[in-house]
Amino acid sequence: MKSKAIKIALTCVVLAAALGGLMYTTLSEGTEYYIHVDEVLKDPSSWEGKRLQLHGFVADLRQRPNSLDYRFSVQFNGKVITANYTGVVPDTFKNESEVVLKGKLHGEGFSVDPNGVMAKCPSKYNPQTPGKAGS
Amino acid sequence: MPALGSFVLLATFVVASYALAACVAGGRRRSRALIESGVGAFYMTAALMTVASGILVHAFVTGNYAIKYVQRYSDSAMPLAYKITSYWGGLDGSIMFWVFLLSIFGTIAVSTNRERHRELIPWVVAIISATEMFFIFIMVVHNNPFDTFVAGGPADGKGLSPLLQNFYMAIHPPSLYTGFVAMTIPYAFGMAALITGHLDDAWLRAVRRWTMIGWLFLTFGLTLGMLWAYEELGWGGFWGWDPVENAGLLPWFTATAFLHSVMVQERRGMLRVWNVTLVITTFFLTIFGTFMTRSGVVASVHAFGEDRWLASLFTTFMILIVTFSFGWVIYRLPLLKSRHELDSWASREAAFLANNWILLFSAFFILFATMFPTLSEAVRGQRLTVGPPFFNTWMRPIGLALLVLTGIAPLLAWRKSTLSNLVHQFTWPVAATMVTGAAVYALGIKVWSSGICFALCAFVGATILQEFIRGAQVRQGASGADILTALIGLVSRQRRRYGGYIVHVGITLMFLGFAGQGYKLEENMKLNPGQTGSVGGFTIRHDSISVTSDEQKQMITGHVTVTRGGKMIAEMTPARWFFAKHEDQPTTEVAIRRAPGEDVYIVLAAYEMETQNATYAVTINPLVNWIWFGFGILAFGTGIALLPERALALAGVKVPEGAATTTLLILMLLLPMTARAQTVIPRDQLRKQLEGDIMCTCGGCKAPMNNCPMGGTCHGLKEQREKLEKYLDAGMNREQIRAAFVKDHGGQDVLAAPIDEGFNKLAWALPYVAGATGAALVGLVAFRWTRKREDAADGSALTNTTTPREDARDASLKDAALKAQLDDELRDLD
Repeated sequence: MKSKAIKIALTCVVLAAALGGLMYTTLSEGTEYYIHVDEVLKDPSSWEGKRLQLHGFVADLRQRPNSLDYRFSVQFNGKVITANYTGVVPDTFKNESEVVLKGKLHGEGFSVDPNGVMAKCPSKYNPQTPGKAGS
Repeated sequence: MPALGSFVLLATFVVASYALAACVAGGRRRSRALIESGVGAFYMTAALMTVASGILVHAFVTGNYAIKYVQRYSDSAMPLAYKITSYWGGLDGSIMFWVFLLSIFGTIAVSTNRERHRELIPWVVAIISATEMFFIFIMVVHNNPFDTFVAGGPADGKGLSPLLQNFYMAIHPPSLYTGFVAMTIPYAFGMAALITGHLDDAWLRAVRRWTMIGWLFLTFGLTLGMLWAYEELGWGGFWGWDPVENAGLLPWFTATAFLHSVMVQERRGMLRVWNVTLVITTFFLTIFGTFMTRSGVVASVHAFGEDRWLASLFTTFMILIVTFSFGWVIYRLPLLKSRHELDSWASREAAFLANNWILLFSAFFILFATMFPTLSEAVRGQRLTVGPPFFNTWMRPIGLALLVLTGIAPLLAWRKSTLSNLVHQFTWPVAATMVTGAAVYALGIKVWSSGICFALCAFVGATILQEFIRGAQVRQGASGADILTALIGLVSRQRRRYGGYIVHVGITLMFLGFAGQGYKLEENMKLNPGQTGSVGGFTIRHDSISVTSDEQKQMITGHVTVTRGGKMIAEMTPARWFFAKHEDQPTTEVAIRRAPGEDVYIVLAAYEMETQNATYAVTINPLVNWIWFGFGILAFGTGIALLPERALALAGVKVPEGAATTTLLILMLLLPMTARAQTVIPRDQLRKQLEGDIMCTCGGCKAPMNNCPMGGTCHGLKEQREKLEKYLDAGMNREQIRAAFVKDHGGQDVLAAPIDEGFNKLAWALPYVAGATGAALVGLVAFRWTRKREDAADGSALTNTTTPREDARDASLKDAALKAQLDDELRDLD
């Protein structure tokens, strides 16, 4: 009985360690920092190249004619970052709308991943969403 | 009225607390009278909640906008169906709906198990009443759906967001609730067993069916959620690992685990602590899921507001559940000892155990990843999020491992599989896997992870096929019936087992659909009229943009022609609708060309009216329809496994010839559920339909357009045709065009058959009706088999004593006895 308990404990430890290790490595690849524009600008160099979810408000939205290329600024608390994006934008994406952008910071600007624009639109789901689990 | 509603809620609270007190006291003192009165009070809560629901629905239908809840979630212009479904449109109402369902389910569970599990009943009632009280308490003090405006209130409501005014949103939440709420019943029985110490396997029997029902509804709710996301949100996918989706998935995993491990306990008396734990965990996760999505601890795109008060209330309730439940588990540990130990790893119970571990791990992984942003903020002060790629990285191998086990477990024997046994069982399935794997490799399909998934689907498919064929052969050998009859007899005799296999077929088909996502192609294209773009062999030609409007909205429609290899396959009309009340939130009307191989999925992403150019987001979604179809099969399998015991005990050796047909019919009834998006009907077909719908206006002929006796010489016909073409150009669908004709003509007499308003309004209920009819048919068939058998038995008894007629009759009698005996032996083998 005792040796069985030890066996079980050992198996659990090994499994937990393996899974924990895997989790740790995949986590460091998979995580994104959720951050506001002003927080980034306190120390831009430390955020460069990291995967970010940048939260702010859109301004100076420009679209290159006949293309899906957009350039705009994202501001929060008076701080501004320029950003560029290629692709389809949500309907609610316009000047002054609140957005969360997935992407990376490079030198001057912020380049948004494909499909990386999430326009915050609380009224879209809230408060009318049926049910607590109404996905 | 609102005052009456609030009063009924209060009264329900009082009655529920009486039920709780009376049953606890009665259970402790073993006083039958007290328990009886407690159960009576418990039934009373169901009656009261029905009354309260009636009042709320009445308020919605009559437009009583003095009630805040009604004002917020409906307006006078909404169709009747959505007014009714607004009942569960918001938090307050959904809590009430929850209690309503729980009281109804509780009543059914208690009344059906009253005699069989008499000793458990008082505690079951007490537990369910306590849960009801918690939710009623929330309503009474914080989220009362009957709250009114202090002075009068506005004349009209705010109305439900157009995004949510659709068929899926009407039935997806109640389906998930039904699943969630049904999980309370197993918990109540489990706790009752722990409290009374009646921990034999009796409680499991009461619990298993409810878990199955809850599981079916959870699966249905999750599938509907996927369908809604796919068809309404327009991002081309169906599952985004959103916290709210995850909340529904968590109890699904533990319930699935329970449905498997319960077999191990029934068979081998093992895993007793484990099963109780799973039942408790599942219940806990339903509460936790509600908490997670409703209290604002996790930010989600669904963005429910933060509500500290609600959060703390839920936290208290959850702590209570955990302490109370696991306190009893620890106290009863000595009674929960396993009767057996695991004999071998090559046994079915070991495979089930592995499956359980993986399922439980999945649940906790998803829980962890969903809570990760909150956790990281609490621990490091920095909000870190994990996106869908992280979930996918982990869930892919986990899903594949589960798929492997789905195939392996049925092939293993209980206790221990011998080597020859293994060879006998595994040869064909492994061969099928190899062949598929080789084919996948030869075709150059991406091996990880879709290729592997295909090979494993073949493995599981082969396993199940082998099980059915071998089972049917044994039965055929015994009964001499043809193979199809033998197969149906087999399924009806061991419905849990074969129903389970059918569920596995459904799951495997769903996996096919998931694997198809590996080959998904996405392309955004900005096109001028006449210009083409191409994605994965399909050529997309932008024809034009049209603007139309009706009373409710303005519709911008893109007209697209899709060709493959020079052959036109569809004309599609993706659109954006701007509802008058919600101009800033246009809805995306996705156009989908469905096919078993792949869907062509087109979204009108942007447009410029001046230049008539349009930007389309085109997605080619391979195999996605197999997910919905797989669910149909899964529901069918669950239905078989759920058929009442009576049918199992007596279900005939003789199966009516119609059985196979009936089965197919039921399957077909289940299908319409899966196909209700904006289906693209080819234009020619639509024109033909409409020409049959709309009357020719030449005056004398009184015939539909396609049947005008004057033919080409008719003067009214040409006009009508032109008008029809115009509407077709505008991309309107059949209903819209019919409505437009009625409007232009000034009456419904322009239609060959009048618009059936009632029917249109009730169209959303169709799948429910279909489902219910299916269930009724299954029941009917079961009943008929049962009766036949009884009749046969009676008749034969008569023959024996009175008329010694033919030898043939005798022979068939012997046959029947033999068959029955064989069946029994087969069942023991199972």
